[in-house]
Amino acid sequence: MDVVLRSIAIIIEVALLAGIAYCFLQGVKLAVTDMGAGTKYNRALTMAVAMIFAIVVVFFIAHLTTFYPTV
Amino acid sequence: MSLREIFWAGQQIYLTEVFLPVIIAVLLFVPLLAALFLFGFGRHYRLWKLGQPEDRSGQWWDRLRGMLAVAVVNMRILNRHELYPGIMHALIFGGSAVLILGKIVRLFSYLTGITVPPQSVYLYASLASEIGAVLILIGGGMAVYRRYIVRPSRLDNKPEDSLVFVWVFIIVLTGLMVKGYRIAASDMAPVDWAMWSPVGYLLSYVFPTFMIAARDEILVWHRAIIHTIPAFVLLGYIWLNRSRLQHILLSSLNGFFRSLKPKGSLNAIDFETTELFGVSNIEEFTWKQLMDLDACTRCGRCQDVCPANISGKALNPKKVIQDLKDHLYEVYPIPLSRKPIEGRKDMISEAITEEVVWDCTTCRACMEACPVYIEHVNKIIDMRRNLAMERSQIPETAQDALKSLGAREHPWRGTTATRTDWAEGLEVKMLSDDSDIDVLYWVGCTAALDERNMKVAAATARILKAAGINFGMLGIEESCCGDPARRMGDEYLFQTLCEKNIGIMKGYEIKKIITTCPHCYNTLKHEYPQFGGEFEVVHHTQFILDLMRSGKLKFSRSNARKAVYHDSCYLGRYNDIYSQPREILAAIGAASGVELSRHGPRSFCCGGGGGHMWMEEDIEKRLNVKRTEEVIETGADVIATACPYCLSMFEDGLKAKEVEETIKAMDLSELLAESLDAES
Repeated sequence: MDVVLRSIAIIIEVALLAGIAYCFLQGVKLAVTDMGAGTKYNRALTMAVAMIFAIVVVFFIAHLTTFYPTV
Repeated sequence: MSLREIFWAGQQIYLTEVFLPVIIAVLLFVPLLAALFLFGFGRHYRLWKLGQPEDRSGQWWDRLRGMLAVAVVNMRILNRHELYPGIMHALIFGGSAVLILGKIVRLFSYLTGITVPPQSVYLYASLASEIGAVLILIGGGMAVYRRYIVRPSRLDNKPEDSLVFVWVFIIVLTGLMVKGYRIAASDMAPVDWAMWSPVGYLLSYVFPTFMIAARDEILVWHRAIIHTIPAFVLLGYIWLNRSRLQHILLSSLNGFFRSLKPKGSLNAIDFETTELFGVSNIEEFTWKQLMDLDACTRCGRCQDVCPANISGKALNPKKVIQDLKDHLYEVYPIPLSRKPIEGRKDMISEAITEEVVWDCTTCRACMEACPVYIEHVNKIIDMRRNLAMERSQIPETAQDALKSLGAREHPWRGTTATRTDWAEGLEVKMLSDDSDIDVLYWVGCTAALDERNMKVAAATARILKAAGINFGMLGIEESCCGDPARRMGDEYLFQTLCEKNIGIMKGYEIKKIITTCPHCYNTLKHEYPQFGGEFEVVHHTQFILDLMRSGKLKFSRSNARKAVYHDSCYLGRYNDIYSQPREILAAIGAASGVELSRHGPRSFCCGGGGGHMWMEEDIEKRLNVKRTEEVIETGADVIATACPYCLSMFEDGLKAKEVEETIKAMDLSELLAESLDAES
């Protein structure tokens, strides 16, 4: 039961942190487009942002799994 | 020390060693936020400044009241037809206001030392913050459900829309989590947290804590940071003005600078000084018209009520505004630069398309529905002016009407009638013979020259005679009021006709005018004063109702016909005349007691305005047929109107639906004339 509760809490935390990362990276992408980057860079930009997002989420999962307090 | 005080003394560690440093760090970055705001606003301002000058000053108190009514009370959103989005927006807005208020009080509480032990104001602020947060979550949830699950057709989704939702949910949830974790990490059992921070108290049971206090402190730091950074970045994002939340400022500004002129009054062109005939390039719009483009929240209310859009035509008012906005940012892409790109596409034929420009009937439904006072119609008319006067690109049938206006001063090409044929046998005074009158009956081109509408003019004249009114008409001296020319973009022709009419009427010292046509009514009342023509103008329904109330007319109060009333655009939406025609119907006993599904300010255009009386239509997309279908649904045997265009359009619509034997289209004056006959 303790493991289940800890897992649920970690999932919620990861979702929140992933949300922050998504907003931040999407904001960067929109800002770069806004500042004059042409549409031909859109695909490359999206791929770069998606990769960073994936790395960040994996980090958060690992970090929280290791250091999250035990119930 | 009481338990409560001990608890709060324990909380003080977090307040002074975690939250206070975080707040100080945030305050240090406030200048950066201010710079981002100036940059973001400056980006918009430099584009608005490209526009032509327009005077939107004066009446500051009226402007401020209107802006607050829209921005704070959300008056134009909360109406009975849109309860769900209205409540949703009220929850988000109200929740944000309450949350921010609570946060500000708590921010200053650290400086004023009211936290240990917490004074009432601090506790109430804590509760207010949580209530605000919950309201935002409920409103936000409603918004997400509506946008992504219900998916109404009028809402389109861009990537930044999802950003705003995710940001706001994260900020609110992490804020509640900070509080919950602070409670959970406390050594003392909370005394009254459940009452003052109910949500935080519940969350304190969800998240586990460490056994070691130092680690708990780190975790509280962590929570505070993951709450603060998104909040800060979101604020920066908003102020960068890339987010739809910029409507908080821009829509309020747009409401403040809204037009306070009469609704039906278009801007005049000064042909002696102007170099621009209408608008061909984006910077030829006025600064306020450019501000409209930024104020648009893409809510789609205009699209939903546009009769052309509903009928399947190309026009979509929301798309017009968004296409113009995209064109503006395409032509001026570099932030803070006023240098346009080379080789821009043509605004009218490529960004908007001519078909869209000519589809508009100028019914004003879009402007009535818009919660932020965007003025769609005047932009379309400005583009029409360019098409008509500079490019000579007008639909062929409309060209014929304009040619007829120029040559014979009326748009009814092909008619063999003269302006006085309708009055044969009625002994209506002609001003050229006897100008001693109290009121001028302005007949209008359609009532004078269209066979069906001549009966309306005759009925009106009989009513005025029955009431003993000393009236007369101009006869062949009357030219078209100019409305068709102005709405079709030929401003020069309009001004020629207008100035001629004003000269003639001033020559006869006319003071008061009655007219049966709402288009003439609107033009004579609101647009002739631009050229020195100041007259008291009354629509025949207003005048007749006064006659009925004062007992000057003897009429039967029972009528076998059961009529449903159609609100014409230029009488209803443009001039707020809704009740008088209904009172006339009720007084003569012809009211069916039923309203059309779209009536009053939400009435559906008959399709005749904006020059469409003279434009060819695609049979599948005729507005009058759509409206006639609504009439048939009511079960009434008469569709009553107070406009010659509507009457003509309904005659056609009833024939198209093959119900002309069972349902009649009649003007109110015809119905009243029947009641006069019945009584006599």
